[in-house]
Amino acid sequence: MVPASQPERAVAAPKSNTDVVLLDLVEFVAEQDKPSAREGLVEIVRQVRESGTDVFALVDSELLYADLHACVCPELTGVVVSHLESVAQVEEADSLISKLEDERGIPPGTLEMVFSLDTAQANQDAFEIASASRRITGLTLGRAELVMDLRPEPSGEIHLMQYLMQKLITVAGAIGVPAYGAWWRTPDRGLLATPENTGEAALRGRAIGFKGSFCVLENQVAPMNQGFTPGAQETTEAGKLLESYRAAVSEGTAFIRQGDRIIDSGTALRARLLIDRAAACEAHDKAKVDALAGRPVPAP
Amino acid sequence: MADHIAVHRSGLTMPVVTPRFIDNAWRRGCDFINMDLEDSVPQHMKGYARTLIKDAITNVTKGGAEAFTRINHDLVLADLEGIIWPGLAKVNYPKAEYGEEIQLLDRIISRLEQAGGIRPGTVEIGADIETSVGVANAYDIAAASPRVREFGGAGGYDMSRDLGVEMFVGFDQFVYGKGEVELAALALGLEPHTAPFTANTTGSVGDPDRAFREAEAARKCGFRVGGGLHPNVVEPQTRGFTPTQEEVDEAHQVLEQYRQLEVSGETWAETDGNIIDRYEAARARKLLDWSELCAARDQEKAEAFARVEAAEA
Repeated sequence: MVPASQPERAVAAPKSNTDVVLLDLVEFVAEQDKPSAREGLVEIVRQVRESGTDVFALVDSELLYADLHACVCPELTGVVVSHLESVAQVEEADSLISKLEDERGIPPGTLEMVFSLDTAQANQDAFEIASASRRITGLTLGRAELVMDLRPEPSGEIHLMQYLMQKLITVAGAIGVPAYGAWWRTPDRGLLATPENTGEAALRGRAIGFKGSFCVLENQVAPMNQGFTPGAQETTEAGKLLESYRAAVSEGTAFIRQGDRIIDSGTALRARLLIDRAAACEAHDKAKVDALAGRPVPAP
Repeated sequence: MADHIAVHRSGLTMPVVTPRFIDNAWRRGCDFINMDLEDSVPQHMKGYARTLIKDAITNVTKGGAEAFTRINHDLVLADLEGIIWPGLAKVNYPKAEYGEEIQLLDRIISRLEQAGGIRPGTVEIGADIETSVGVANAYDIAAASPRVREFGGAGGYDMSRDLGVEMFVGFDQFVYGKGEVELAALALGLEPHTAPFTANTTGSVGDPDRAFREAEAARKCGFRVGGGLHPNVVEPQTRGFTPTQEEVDEAHQVLEQYRQLEVSGETWAETDGNIIDRYEAARARKLLDWSELCAARDQEKAEAFARVEAAEA
């Protein structure tokens, strides 16, 4: 996540090995700098996209017209819509994007939308909001802990966040899209989290059901990627488990015991998904390296 | 947050039929006294209890506390007709389950306010969520009347009985329900009446140290509403929910640093390991506003207390 008012940093962001560059028009751009940030945004999108990295823009639902006019172009992957309060805002954003796609020669329905449910009302109406556009490709809480003023409990957990994270992940599952976020604990707030703590937040995030997360510093990208990528050991163990299960099934049993664990179809499916996820992460990492090196990247 | 911010840091719930509790209530230093018609009043005394409320309002408020009354879920009309008198600040309605119940309360209270010459909208409604049905309808209940200004629940004895869960355990058995209720309050801009989980495996209601720790933790999470059953917890709650001078000084410092940040054109800065940005500035402003409200409330209570002592001297 890079301020749109810092073009040099934005264009350099793919070198951090991030999967996505999120060009921020909302959180880290001062009000007086927003007009100039919007003016140069399409050019930044194009330059970032040349590196092969997906590019999103973080737009403000209260400034939709200006923000969307500034960022929509064929090279843009999609937008993350923040500060949502209602289904009507989603419909407005969807409609405006359709109009801009039409005007700017982009095939209809190309641009994705990720909803940042960072307000209390958005979380209250999470399912309705998430269901309001077919463009949705993800949900996140964004900076809900700040927008909603949620603070640390004595345990170190951010108050209400476990409930909100579970609600978001459940709604995302019901809609069939990934949930993005990390499980931060005090004193980290994303901005100043050390690489080590970022990795912990990502690991916890993956464990609770998030598929990836935005971060704000370049040195947080590597631990974020690592935390959200299945490790070599767990992938190897999943492979062994799957092999044992398949052998058992071929002999006519529905489950096997491994020590104190029962391995059945559900466990095997989880192992299969983990292996697939690891393979997808590996392929994506290779594609990023190829793209940065200027080599042709195969279609996903 | 709610436009109208009341200061309800500490309060005692007591049976209105027990004269020694009511007669001494004004000395306790509470922000509010909750006169109970419900669980602490025997069934055969319900009618008599209502007749005590009018005089008890005058009695419990003379030290500066606000007067609340908890009514019975199944005796709404009779209870309300007996208790809506000038000076009553809030009606607590237990086991709220549907928005329609709160709308009914609102209509009855409006009629009684008019009949009693009370300014319309004076009497708040405390819609207490204490059942699974109440959790399921939390948003509708909280949105049912502008008289609902503080909103919370989904914990405590009645909730544990309704869910069939243990009451005094070392983990938070009410995560989902409390989350639903708090989110509804936040979405509607109401004052959430909740607190972070702290294990209470003994069931103690009168431990002052524990009361302070809980209140302080709640305040640091941004919560401001207290209340209890034992006089021992009043002072610790009042103290725990009031910002310290150190926090007030820090808040002024944050606002000064934010002013400098705005001049610089940056959106955030790091100072001594802390972030300064618009969110921290908003928190600092909120803390200073709350600190001023607490100081004003303490002053009101001190003056009221002094007036009574002077009159009785």
